[in-house]
Amino acid sequence: MKQFWQSLCYGYRYICRRRLYIVCMVFVPLLCTLFFLSLLQEGLPVRVPTAVVDLDHSPMSRSMTRSLGAVQMVDVTRACDSYDEARRAVQSGEVYGFYVIPANFQEDALAGRKPVINYFCDMTYFVPGTFSYKGYKSVAVQATAALVAESAASKGISTRTISALIKPMSIDVNPIHNPWTNYSMYLTPSFCMCLLELMVIMVTIMTVTYEIKENHSRRWLRDNGNSIVLAVTGKLLPQTLIFCIVGWAMQGLMYGFGHFPMSCPHWVMALALFLLVTASQGFGLFVSCMVPNVRMALSVGTLFAMLAFSFTGFSFPVQSMYGFMGVFSWLAPIRYYFLIHVQQCLNGVALYYSRLWFVMLIVLTLAPALMLWRLKRACLRQVYVP
Amino acid sequence: MKVLRNIINWPMAMARCFAREWHTVLHDPGALIFFVILPLMYPIAYTLIYNPEVVRELPVAVVDHDRSFESRKLVRDASASPTIEIYDYVPDMPAARDLMARGDVMGILEIPSGYGRKIGRMEQANATFYCQMSLLLRYRAFVSAITNVQLKDIADITAQRADMLGQAGSSLSEAPIENEEHMLGDEEQGFASFVMPGVLVLILQQSMLLGICLLGGTSQERRRRNRGIDPRDVPGAPASAMAWGRAFCYVTFYMAAVVWLFDAVPVMFNLPHNISLVHTFLLMLPFCFASAFLGQAMTYFVKDRESCFIVIAFTSLVYLFLSGLTWPMYAMPQMWVEAGKAIPGVWAVSAFIRMNANSATLADCAPAMCWLWGLTAAYSLLAILFYRHIARRSRRLYGATAAARS
Repeated sequence: MKQFWQSLCYGYRYICRRRLYIVCMVFVPLLCTLFFLSLLQEGLPVRVPTAVVDLDHSPMSRSMTRSLGAVQMVDVTRACDSYDEARRAVQSGEVYGFYVIPANFQEDALAGRKPVINYFCDMTYFVPGTFSYKGYKSVAVQATAALVAESAASKGISTRTISALIKPMSIDVNPIHNPWTNYSMYLTPSFCMCLLELMVIMVTIMTVTYEIKENHSRRWLRDNGNSIVLAVTGKLLPQTLIFCIVGWAMQGLMYGFGHFPMSCPHWVMALALFLLVTASQGFGLFVSCMVPNVRMALSVGTLFAMLAFSFTGFSFPVQSMYGFMGVFSWLAPIRYYFLIHVQQCLNGVALYYSRLWFVMLIVLTLAPALMLWRLKRACLRQVYVP
Repeated sequence: MKVLRNIINWPMAMARCFAREWHTVLHDPGALIFFVILPLMYPIAYTLIYNPEVVRELPVAVVDHDRSFESRKLVRDASASPTIEIYDYVPDMPAARDLMARGDVMGILEIPSGYGRKIGRMEQANATFYCQMSLLLRYRAFVSAITNVQLKDIADITAQRADMLGQAGSSLSEAPIENEEHMLGDEEQGFASFVMPGVLVLILQQSMLLGICLLGGTSQERRRRNRGIDPRDVPGAPASAMAWGRAFCYVTFYMAAVVWLFDAVPVMFNLPHNISLVHTFLLMLPFCFASAFLGQAMTYFVKDRESCFIVIAFTSLVYLFLSGLTWPMYAMPQMWVEAGKAIPGVWAVSAFIRMNANSATLADCAPAMCWLWGLTAAYSLLAILFYRHIARRSRRLYGATAAARS
C-alpha cells in the first residue's frame, strides 16, 4: 500500500514538473470549450448574405425581392445588375448565392408564358449554401402559389377549394429534441470531448514513454518493485483525476452555463466522461506498449486521434462510410461516448439501450493489460531511438 | 565597405543555412514522416472517409393509421427516394420509438387515420415525419427527400383535382412560374467535395508546422547537450539568413506536396478541380512561406523533439473552425474573425476553395494574397526575433563559447 502511495506521489510530481503537461491537461480543453461556446453562440447561422439580380424591375419582381428579404434564412445584401456581377460577388466570397428574376418576368407570368426563375447556391460552403437554397426555394414556391390563387379566384373558384388545390397535402418534419436545429448542441459537445480524448492520449503516451527517453525507466520500474502494473497505475491515476475534473468542468460549461439539453440524469454523462478518460488512457497505453518509442507512439496515437474527429461520425455518418474505414471508429473511445451522448443526453432513452457502449469503454480501458509486458521489456532495455 | 561585404555575405550565409537544413531534414526520419508521409497519406485517408459523399437509404419506420390507397402511395413515393429506405411498418408510435432508441431507424413517418379520406374530400391532408437529430447531415438529407416527396404528391393530387374541376381548373394544374436551382462549386452536394479542398490546405499547413517544430525541438535538445551550441547551425550566420534559409528549404521541400495535394488528389478522387497548376503555385507560395515562418516562430513553445505533437495537434481543430469551412464567417463573433486573420491557413482555405471550386481568379482573391504576403513578413520578423532570443539566451547561460559560435 505504501509503495502504491509512493507511486501515486511520483505520478503527481511527474506531471507537475513540466508546465506543458498542466497547460495541455487543464487550459487547452477548457479554453477550447469556451472557444466553441463563443464561436457557435448563434446556434444557427441564418441570414446568409445573398444577392438579387432583378432584370425586370416590375412591381411583381420587387415584391419577390421583398419576400426574399423577409425570409429568415437569407439576407439580401446586394442588388446586382447582371448575372456576371452576381457571380463575381460569389467568387470573391461576398455572397453565398443569388436569385435571378428574368426580364419581362411580370408580363410573362401574367400572360401564362411561364417565366423561369433561376437561383444559384454556393455549395462550397455547405451550411450557408443549404440555407440560401431553402430560402430561395420557399420564395419561388410561394410566388407560384400566389399566382395560382389569383388566377383561380378570377375564375370563380372558392377560397377553400383554392387552398386544397395549392397544397392538398403536407408532411410536417419534426426534428426530435432539437426543434431549433441548433448546430452548437451537436458540434460543441462532440468536438470538445474528442479534443479531450486527443489530449488524454497524447499526455498518456508522452508521460509513459518519456521515462525511456530520459533513461529513467529502469529506476522507475525498480522504485515500483519491478511491477509495470503498479508503475503505470501510479503514474496514470493522478492524470485520470485531473482529466476527469477538467472534463466535468467542460460538461458544466456546456450543460450548465451553455444550457445545452441534458435529457438524462447528470451522473450518466459524468460516468461516461470518466470512462472516456480511462478508455483514452487505455488506448494511449496500448499504443505505448505496441510501439514503446516516444516519437513513434505519439505519431501513431496522434494520427489516430486526429482521424477520430472524422471517422467517429460527428459530421458524416459511420453507416454511410466505406466498411473498411468505418471499422476504425469502433476502436476510438470517443465513438462510444458520442453514442452515449446521443442516446442519453440528446434523445433521453432508457439507460438499457446504451449498456453496450459503457461495456466497450470498460473493455478499451482494460485492453492494454494484455500488452504491458512489452512496455516492461522496453523499460528494462531503456534504449531511446530519436 | 562593410555594408557591401554584408550584402554579399548575407545571401551566402542564407544559401549555407538552406543547404544545411536540407541535409538535416533528409537525415531526420521524424521530420521526413511529417514532410513526406503525412501529406502523402493523410489526404487519402481523409478522402476515403468522406468519399461516399452523400447519405443514402436511411432507415425509416412507418406508422400507418390509415392503411388506404393514398397512404400506401405516400409510403411508396417515400421509399422511391434514394435517401429513404422503409425499414418496417409498426403498429403504433411506442413501437416506432423503440426502434429509434435501438438505433435501427433514423426517422418515423406517421400517417394519421383519415389521410386518404381527406384527399378524397378535397381537403388538406397531413402526415408527420419525426427525424432523429444526432447528425445534421441526416436531417438535411431527410428534409430534402421529404420536400421532394411532398412536391411530387402535391403535383399528382393537384392534377387530379384540377381534372375534377373541369374547364376552370385545367390551367391550375400547371405552375405559372418555373424555377431552376443551380448548385455552384459542388453540384452533387457531396460531403467530400465540400470539405476536402479546405482540409487539404490545412493538412499542408499542419504537417509543415509539426515538422518544423520537431526540427526546432531537436535543435533545442542539441543546444542543451552542447553548452548552448547546436552543431548543425551554420556558424556566424545572422538570424535573418537562418530564418530565410530554412524557410526556403521547407518551401522547396513542399513544392512536390503542393502538386500532390492540390492537383493529383482532386483528380484521383474526382473532387472539384478548376484551378490551374500555375495559379495553385502562385497562391501556395505565400501560404507556404507564411506557414514556414509561423512554424519557426512557434518553435518558441517547443522545448524538445516530441512536444511538437502536444503543441500543434489540437490547433488543427481551432484552425478548421476559424477558416469558416464548418461554420460560416458571417455568423462568427467579430473577435474570432479577426483572430483567424493571423492564421495563413484561414486565408489559403477561403482563397483555394473559391479558385478551385468556383473558378475565381487570383484578382478575386487579391485580399487573401496580400494578407498571406503580409503574414509572411510578420512571421519572418517573429522568427528572426526568436533566433536572436536563442542566441542571447545561449550567451547568457553558457558565455563566450556559445557567443563565439553564433
